[in-house]
Amino acid sequence: MPHKTFFAFILPSLIAMVLFIALPIVSVIVQSLHVEHARVLVEVESCQPFGGCTTETRVDTAAMAELRAEKPMGQFNGLGTYLNRGHLAVNEIGAILASNNGFGDIATRIYNLPFYKALSFTLVFCFVVTPLAMALGFAIALAVNALPKVTKGPVIFFSLLPMIITPLIGSLILYWMIQSNGIIGASLQHLFNDPTLSLRASPVLTWASLLFYGVWTNAPFSFVVFYAGLQTVPGDTLESAMIDGASRWERIRFVIIPHLAPLATFVALVQLMDNFRVFEPIVGFSAEANATSLSWLIFNDLSGDAKLFGSAGATSVLTIVGVIVLLMPVLIRTWQEFNHKVV
Amino acid sequence: MSDATLSQKRPLPLTILITVFIVIWVVLAAFPFIWTVWGSFKVEPDFFSRQSWWNAIFGTYTQAQNDGNSFTGDGYYGAWVTREFWRAAGNTAIVTVSVTIISLTLGTLGGYALARSGRGYAFWILILALVFRAMPHITLVSGYLLPFFQLNIWGVLPTSIIVLVAINQPFTLWMLHSFFLSIPKDLDESAMVDGCSRFEAFRRVIIPVMWPGVVTTGLFSFLLAYNDFATTSMLLSSDNQTMVPKISSFLGSVQEQGNVMFAVAAVVSATVPLFILVLFFQRQIVSGLTAGAVKG
Amino acid sequence: MAQIRLKNVSKRWTNFVGVDNFNLDIADQEFLVLLGPSGCGKTTTMRMIAGLEDVTEGEIWIGDRLVNKLEPKDRDISMVFQSYGLYPNMTVYENIRFPLKVRKVPQEQHHDRVMAASKMVELDDFLQRRPAALSGGQRQRVALARAIVREPNAFLMDEPLSNLDAKLRVSTRAQIKNLHHTLKRTTIYVTHDQIEAMTLADRVVVMSKGLIQQVGTPMEIYDRPANTFVASFIGSPAMNLIPGHMQDGVFTGDHIRVDGLSTQVNGPVTLGFRAEDAVMAGETGQIEAPIYTVELLGEATMISMRVAGELVSIKVAKDYRAEIGDVVRVNIAPAACHLFDQSTGQRIVPGI
Ligand SMILES: Nc1ncnc2c1ncn2[C@@H]1O[C@H](COP(=O)(O)OP(=O)(O)OP(=O)(O)O)[C@@H](O)[C@H]1O
Ligand SMILES: [Mg+2]
Repeated sequence: MPHKTFFAFILPSLIAMVLFIALPIVSVIVQSLHVEHARVLVEVESCQPFGGCTTETRVDTAAMAELRAEKPMGQFNGLGTYLNRGHLAVNEIGAILASNNGFGDIATRIYNLPFYKALSFTLVFCFVVTPLAMALGFAIALAVNALPKVTKGPVIFFSLLPMIITPLIGSLILYWMIQSNGIIGASLQHLFNDPTLSLRASPVLTWASLLFYGVWTNAPFSFVVFYAGLQTVPGDTLESAMIDGASRWERIRFVIIPHLAPLATFVALVQLMDNFRVFEPIVGFSAEANATSLSWLIFNDLSGDAKLFGSAGATSVLTIVGVIVLLMPVLIRTWQEFNHKVV
Repeated sequence: MSDATLSQKRPLPLTILITVFIVIWVVLAAFPFIWTVWGSFKVEPDFFSRQSWWNAIFGTYTQAQNDGNSFTGDGYYGAWVTREFWRAAGNTAIVTVSVTIISLTLGTLGGYALARSGRGYAFWILILALVFRAMPHITLVSGYLLPFFQLNIWGVLPTSIIVLVAINQPFTLWMLHSFFLSIPKDLDESAMVDGCSRFEAFRRVIIPVMWPGVVTTGLFSFLLAYNDFATTSMLLSSDNQTMVPKISSFLGSVQEQGNVMFAVAAVVSATVPLFILVLFFQRQIVSGLTAGAVKG
Repeated sequence: MAQIRLKNVSKRWTNFVGVDNFNLDIADQEFLVLLGPSGCGKTTTMRMIAGLEDVTEGEIWIGDRLVNKLEPKDRDISMVFQSYGLYPNMTVYENIRFPLKVRKVPQEQHHDRVMAASKMVELDDFLQRRPAALSGGQRQRVALARAIVREPNAFLMDEPLSNLDAKLRVSTRAQIKNLHHTLKRTTIYVTHDQIEAMTLADRVVVMSKGLIQQVGTPMEIYDRPANTFVASFIGSPAMNLIPGHMQDGVFTGDHIRVDGLSTQVNGPVTLGFRAEDAVMAGETGQIEAPIYTVELLGEATMISMRVAGELVSIKVAKDYRAEIGDVVRVNIAPAACHLFDQSTGQRIVPGI
């Protein structure tokens, strides 16, 4: 295909991606280097008819508006936002490392810094949910594959629901059930005979329920991909393994799993990418007191009345760096393969 | 795997284990939905009952408040009429349909070019698209807000539509690209020799053969737009909200009013289209999920 | 009037040469066959003529137009693809009609022309079927009909018979030959089957690794191969090639001594002769070697033996019988011998 035709075809799509994906990334980087204008204060003397005059300090709204119109992004702050307490918290970490009571203390105190708190939940969510969901999906795929044909359709139908559901809605549905006055929450209180038991109150239980939600929505995707993979397992190999005397488990271990390994890489990659942006369940579960994520931090900065563009920008840039680190193995491998192909 | 030979030899305990496991999974997957649909026709003290969840099943308080009838449509009335959920539903319809159509138009053109070029830069565009695909949407949103405020295009539906289309492009390109790869190149080449330009060959010969792939990709574009919360909640003013941000705004205000049932009814309403989608397009969804995997 | 001329045409990908400096004039109404082993650049050459592949270097002329920059649709050629390239969503009738439709041929001519084309390839019974419901041979004929329905400058055919079984191949081959005779269009035909090349071609171009090895009529190529590559590629079995030494018109090698050859050639050479040109000798033969195998072909018997390190095949009468290991004696008429330069592989023409 000549270059001209190629670009004629791809141009609309490319423009859309450059304008609304590449440029915003640049815009985020620029924003992250700026900070909101400091408030302009004026001394105002207000005199009452009786009682003389008092001076008070007020925010000069007119001057502020002028400043904003002039420099909408705020003033240049360099890497200041990155290093402050809300983000990388360099000074705080320095202080913690300088004086502390052992490793446990360091961990707790760092965890209490907002950025690190969000980062730890995001990473735990990514790396706990992904393997669990894949394992569950694989188990479902094996089980469904063994079902008689008539039941396969309906089982696949119900299995797709948790994945297809809007994340916010799915998390609300689960949240309503596990609330202390929802069916699961109430039953658990009964079961443990503890009327104060609440999944929301304890950080551990909140994390557990968020992770449960994660596995619930992610498992169907692995299931579908693995199930499709199972249909392509070569029957000959399986039969010769049987003749060689392999047990059921050995056949799974030595024939099926190696056959599905490339699919597993794909599933892991997609789910890591998706789980890294975990956000809606935190809103749905109202879990922000005990668990936050990087995406949630950005959302929080932006949704208040005073929109903290600088802070949101810095978190966004750090998140993007995280994504690139996450993708690094894939990128390096493709790069190598590409060079290999050319040479 | 030949079903017959394997299942004949399966020992009974294993069969029982498989059956139990599948039953548990299906309950896990389906019960929350059934429960919520059922509960959405009750009043709040039933659905969120501290005493006993039997209330939710029998509708004790619902009967009391409702002349002995154990079902009520109050939640739906409150959400759709009082709180004007219909407006949000309309907005969602506009947004999802536009996003799907525009995404597919741009995506088929681009995906076709990527599948047929075979040059180095096509490969790098695909890799770039993969990186873009991994960007959390909210990070991009934080890049939009300020420019959109400045340009005064914040809050309206067209802006959100364009943004969702763009966010959708990397995925759409990948998926359609792999569908186009499965169509033999001979087809467009014979069309071109027969007298078509590249674009005519694409339109008259390739697209008619591509329908299944286009439908499948369209489903996923639809889902992305429908399920989005990060973008629409930040980019739409409260008058123009679509369903998902509207539901989240219910939670803020409704809970104070003590009528969380509006939100429950809205949630159920928003789930229905997804249900129908899976019901009719199960095969396409499954094939779409695996299309990326097999090629990727 | 459609001569096709290729002037110094080359095709290179980043680090691979597909076609190297290709020069050829194809006369109007000629049936030209491109022949060569897999991967030698036949398809690439044809695709460059069709405009499906850019030319890296050189010029392609169709008639009196330089077509390098023209799109395929503007070159007015039609092409039959190896895998047919039928449109699966259209019926046979629509498939054949498609070129007329996109080229804006007046509507009222469509039906007659489609019917004429389908009659020529005997497809009348299948017009309403989809390609998926046809056999390989029928699909092949749809592709042919689609190519002939309009009157292009030239036909290009890329291994159109390779997916057919042996019997169908023979009958379709005859059909193509007949079509060429009726339609009188310049035809370029790609194949790696030399029987097809020999039976169909006015001229054959033998290619190897992107380079033209020889251009000539089938008989020329068979009788006077330009180099050892052509000699070993054409003919079944291929020409026997034996390394040895020439001195005073005598070729000597292990188990072989042939005299009466040109006295002008001296030094190391390769001697070539065809299996059917060897005759059994009496007491002494130019070749004397033990038999390596005996193969009964039906119409003849093939025996082979090891001479100067090479396996040499010889065709003998069908009732000839011998055991492996028996020593046979064979003579070759000097006129049937070909001499090639041992280092370049080029044919040595004595007396020039
Ligand atoms: N897009 C491409 N990029 C790099 N090399 C290519 C490309 N297309 C073809 N080639 C190479 O060019 C050479 C010639 O290919 P071509 O298809 O012309 O062979 P051919 O003679 O038609 O073979 P066959 O008889 O197998 O069809 C091959 O070695 C092939 O690998
Ligand atoms: Mg070829």
